[in-house]
Amino acid sequence: MEARIKWETDFNAALSRAKAEGRPVLADFFNPG
Amino acid sequence: MDAVTYPDEAVVDFIQERMIPLRLQSDAKPYSADYNIQWTPTVITLDPSGKEHHRTTGFLAPEELVPSLLLGIAKMHFDAGQYGEAAENLEEVLSAYPESDSAPEALYLKGVCQYKQTHEAQPLKSAYEQLNEHYPSSEWTKRAYPYRLL
Repeated sequence: MEARIKWETDFNAALSRAKAEGRPVLADFFNPG
Repeated sequence: MDAVTYPDEAVVDFIQERMIPLRLQSDAKPYSADYNIQWTPTVITLDPSGKEHHRTTGFLAPEELVPSLLLGIAKMHFDAGQYGEAAENLEEVLSAYPESDSAPEALYLKGVCQYKQTHEAQPLKSAYEQLNEHYPSSEWTKRAYPYRLL
């Protein structure tokens, strides 16, 4: 099965995970088209 | 990015292991204004408090995205005064992705990190010499030009 990026879609949830896991956030701002 | 870069196995592995991936629409409120998003794709490296340390705008191929993200992680550490951690990430850019567009900036910043750690000028001069040898047309070689005199 092809691996995929498991994106967070909630800003605050992403920052909470970043603090808990000690990792930076990659924030991708995209155009949904 | 969705068609080429994000499905790439090396990209998936790097992002899942080293970062928290967050996707937001370019008009998402209030973040679009908070981060002044004017064009897509815009990829920003944030620290866990939400402070920005690095951004790119426009398409990046897989072989450019990973070193760009490493550079962003290094800048996050650099901005926090964590020069050893920054230098480790910068060395990873230089050793694993020496042909990437991020490499010249990584080489420059690595010299600065070493200077910050030792307060000796030699790392700055060495950074210029390596930039001039390997990336003579880079803007970072121009920025390091004064260091040749150290």
